Amino acid sequence: MKNIVTLINNELHFSLNEQLYDEDVVFKCFYWYGTDYNVEIDKKDNVFFVKISSKSETKIDHDHLLIKIKQDLIDFKLRDIVTKETKNIRELLTAKAFAHFETDENPVTEISDPIGFDPTNF
Amino acid sequence: MISVIQKKNRKFKEINYYQNHDVSNYFLLPFRFQKINSKTEILVNEVGDFLLVPVGTAEQIILKKLDKIKDEDLYLDLISNFFISEEVIPPLLNILEARYRTKKSFLDHFTALHIFVISLRCEHTCHYCQVSRVTENKDEFDMSLYHIDEGIKIMMHSPNPHITMEFQGGEALLAFNNIKYAVLKAKEEALLYEKHMTFVICTNLAPLTDDMLPFIKEHNIMISSSLDGPAFIHNQNRHRPQRNSYEVTIEGLNKCRAILGEDNISALLTTTNLSLDYPTEIVEEYVKQGFSNIFLRPISPYGFATYNEKKNKYQTEKFLTFYKSAFEKIIDYNKKGYYIREDYATVILKKILTSFPVGYVDLQSPAGMINNVIVFNYDGKIYASDEARMLAEMNDFTFQLGILGQSTYNEIFYGKKAMEIAENWTNESLAGCSECAFQSYCGADPVLNHATQGNMYGYRPTNVFCQKNMEIIRYLFDLMEDKSIEKIFRSWITGHSE
Repeated sequence: MKNIVTLINNELHFSLNEQLYDEDVVFKCFYWYGTDYNVEIDKKDNVFFVKISSKSETKIDHDHLLIKIKQDLIDFKLRDIVTKETKNIRELLTAKAFAHFETDENPVTEISDPIGFDPTNF
Repeated sequence: MISVIQKKNRKFKEINYYQNHDVSNYFLLPFRFQKINSKTEILVNEVGDFLLVPVGTAEQIILKKLDKIKDEDLYLDLISNFFISEEVIPPLLNILEARYRTKKSFLDHFTALHIFVISLRCEHTCHYCQVSRVTENKDEFDMSLYHIDEGIKIMMHSPNPHITMEFQGGEALLAFNNIKYAVLKAKEEALLYEKHMTFVICTNLAPLTDDMLPFIKEHNIMISSSLDGPAFIHNQNRHRPQRNSYEVTIEGLNKCRAILGEDNISALLTTTNLSLDYPTEIVEEYVKQGFSNIFLRPISPYGFATYNEKKNKYQTEKFLTFYKSAFEKIIDYNKKGYYIREDYATVILKKILTSFPVGYVDLQSPAGMINNVIVFNYDGKIYASDEARMLAEMNDFTFQLGILGQSTYNEIFYGKKAMEIAENWTNESLAGCSECAFQSYCGADPVLNHATQGNMYGYRPTNVFCQKNMEIIRYLFDLMEDKSIEKIFRSWITGHSE
């Protein structure tokens, strides 16, 4: 987090490097700030410029907000790691869970024995 | 699942085991995490199994800083509960699949609950009710026999072998003759289609007369009534010209208990602004009337909430304060030996502490509407849920799926409207929900989103459903750290105190 500017008129501006926080992390993290804040995100040359302003008249506690943002960015980056690393296994799990459950049935035709041993003996 | 914080020991192992320090190269399996309080965070895997761990543990796990030897307890818990795996595809993936399938098994049989709004007439004039009419006009506001027949036809087409037919109003008992006709007709058809039927009448009990009870008893019809608290709350909420709603309800409850048996009558609480100031008194009233359960339902946002973000947030915060005060009183009763459970918490706790789904339509993903419930209105119009028909009474027909006698089963349940709703009914695919630790305990509610935020998808940061459920689920986990409370919670699930 760089170029932190705290403005008296209830605003906080800062920039984030895309190499540290990719777009998914930034947008998922600041999505939740919509409860109390208006959030504006711009991107230029791999840097996100974030502007946060309060929705209400209540004065922003800049120090408290910065600590919260830093922690939330770490949490959402961790969530993003899990989401991306487990994408395939999650898809596999859901697909297999909802695939029609069928037990393997013995073939109804006679089993061929081209190499000379009888597989039904096993 | 036991929290690793409290686990004391593990099995004895040979010395060779401890000489192997090379395993921190495990693979992550899908899980989510969330802070519960300043010291504890929760990890929840894809099938809803959880671990309560110290804050910072998720970071340690995800960044692969976990040491198999040093963090042995945690490491083995994570392996055995499908949070991490030592192989890319865990060898017991089939078990996880079966668990996942079980959690979603409420989808297997499709729609069970069929609500028939048998009459819109009511002799109460409750200020929070947008749907009822005080009128003698049966032709206009009672469901016609034609629509009852058509509703039963649709109901018998459901693939579900267990069907619930629920009569609602207005005041359902004002159309008791139609209820009798519908029950007999449905039973006849059920024999033909091999359905197991359950019947429910939702009533304020005021029009209940002695000659109704033999039929109700003969056909095993359950009575779902309403009790809003002590007389000064109930009578204020439920206006009658004689101001005696409480008295007739209690009289009706006692009559039903005596003739139908304790288990066939239940009462629901409708929370209003007045109720929010009296959490303790309401719980005490339920205990006084001998109930062993109480359902602390939030104020219905239909009719007044619309899109006012600030008002909705204020109402939710006020409800949560009410909920927690009432909940403390309930816990207190349980600690003193009086068994009484809170139903909303019990639904969530069943999802948390068991492997099975819960048939509660408001907390399901995919949502309960259409999948588990369908509503046939008095005028023959078909809606996706009870709330959807309330919206319709305010001239919003977004969730109308068809008309009895005109629409086919496929048009109703698999038509364009149903497909549009389906795009918004799984919380796994909603922004804000997709990475939420409480996802598997929660649900999706496109009707509420539409009613309060103007679209079915919803916006979680200001969503009343999200705010309420996130806090209640967090609160339950927070309380569960106290082992005596966890024991009470488990008794609510099993239905007995030991």
